[in-house]
Amino acid sequence: MAKGYRPVQQEDETMAMEMDFGAQSDTGCVRENNEDSYLAAPEMGLFVLSDGMGGLESGEVASHLAVDAVLAHCREAEANPFLPLTGESIDGVSDASNRLASAIRLANKVVHRAAQANAARKAVGAMGATVVAVRFAGERMSLAHVGDSRAYRLRGENFEQLTQDHSFVAEQMRQGNMTQQEAGESALQSVLIRALGVDTDVDVDVTEELVMENDTVLLCSDGLTRELSDRQIAAVLGDADDAQEAADRLVDLAKQAGGGDNITAIVVRRAPQPAGVFARIGRWFRDSA
Amino acid sequence: MPKLVLKFENSILTEVPVGAKEVSIGRSPDNGLVIDNPAVSHYHARVFTEEGRLMLEDFGSLNGTFVNGQRVKMVMLKAGDSVAVGKHTIVVSESRELDGFAGGNAKGKAAAPKINETVMLDTKERRDFLQKVAAVGESAQVAPARLKVPTLVVRKGKTSRREYTLSDKLTVIGKSAMATVKLKGWFAPGAAAQINRREDHSYYIGAADKIPSVNGVPIAHPTKLSSGDIISVAGIELEFVYRD
Repeated sequence: MAKGYRPVQQEDETMAMEMDFGAQSDTGCVRENNEDSYLAAPEMGLFVLSDGMGGLESGEVASHLAVDAVLAHCREAEANPFLPLTGESIDGVSDASNRLASAIRLANKVVHRAAQANAARKAVGAMGATVVAVRFAGERMSLAHVGDSRAYRLRGENFEQLTQDHSFVAEQMRQGNMTQQEAGESALQSVLIRALGVDTDVDVDVTEELVMENDTVLLCSDGLTRELSDRQIAAVLGDADDAQEAADRLVDLAKQAGGGDNITAIVVRRAPQPAGVFARIGRWFRDSA
Repeated sequence: MPKLVLKFENSILTEVPVGAKEVSIGRSPDNGLVIDNPAVSHYHARVFTEEGRLMLEDFGSLNGTFVNGQRVKMVMLKAGDSVAVGKHTIVVSESRELDGFAGGNAKGKAAAPKINETVMLDTKERRDFLQKVAAVGESAQVAPARLKVPTLVVRKGKTSRREYTLSDKLTVIGKSAMATVKLKGWFAPGAAAQINRREDHSYYIGAADKIPSVNGVPIAHPTKLSSGDIISVAGIELEFVYRD
């Protein structure tokens, strides 16, 4: 089992009430070790997942370094809002989103340095990782990623992939050179064109999403989506009583379906707020008392 | 004895004679004529001789086989015919040489590396790799069609402004503090709808508290917007437009 982070304490009551989250990770049925890492830091509304690659333990090391670096940078920025950004600021997104992108660029540098140290010691092969991270602040979710680990959202009946894979086959599909079926059968479907640790700098995709009540967000490594269809995943997310149950069931089902790779799922659900005018008035009275 | 000359954009890649044994054509390496290209099916087609005639049969391939421009299932071939498979061309020709040429490796292109585990490529490696595997001549990068920023023009309803420039990746239509297009009215939803700008600079409208309609049709899922589209939601009407 990959190490994850369990929140130390849920200090922010508002956040604890609003977010229901759960996570599960498994080596799967074929691989010998689990190179996925994840963390949940709900007090910051931060959830991060990374899928590592490289010989021997390099993959595990890479993904751990990645999630640790993202958390560290976000924590540092909380304490010091004037902390400079790693890399250029992106137009059209909030400061919080830029901070998340900065954290990932920093994670890239950390993994890259480790990979170079590996190479210098003539230790085994290249080292790299994917990363996908979300940070919730009120009604806004910042989403940033590099690689082919994904973020999805279930809103009502609509299940949507929020990230674009940085894989060779996904790019071929986007250019119309490959169909989805061909991509699924391709011998090259694991080839990434963007990953952490390959170069000193990396291009991070950043976007923002509105968060509605009952929105369910899923972060997952490709070990999940190779085994289960969108429909199956959406069904589990819709049926489960809570986020942890959803995460456990997704990983279970993926193992039953073959478990050809490490499987990790983080599920975050925005719990419904008491609705309506009267609740709002009630709160106004309470807050002004 | 006839031979099949495999060409790509006027370059001859290889030649394969057609003797008594049939020549299978496809992406899989165990074919007689291997064409390593995503547009070609693993077992795409075959060429064989039957009663002295040269025949071509398509195996029900995804992208089809075309002889002199016509899509075919099974057809007789003659010298000079041009067979299109994916982006490659196979020219049927009469061999005058001894069949020593096609001895050895009959593969059309260097085989793509077989990869089971995830692999990352750095920039130079990636360019080299894409050259080998993808169709040569395709541009690997597609530049965004335009970097112009669209405008939402309010046609009906009460909002904070008459026009909004969509310069952010996320634009919220509603009453909440996060909304750009601010709705007026006590009962207006916090977030009626959202518009997202994607990596390729296209804009998609999605439902939030309400389901918006685009040109009169309620959307079933996040929908791409084109210049001139009329969005209606929560009692307001907006035109999505690219101004020149």
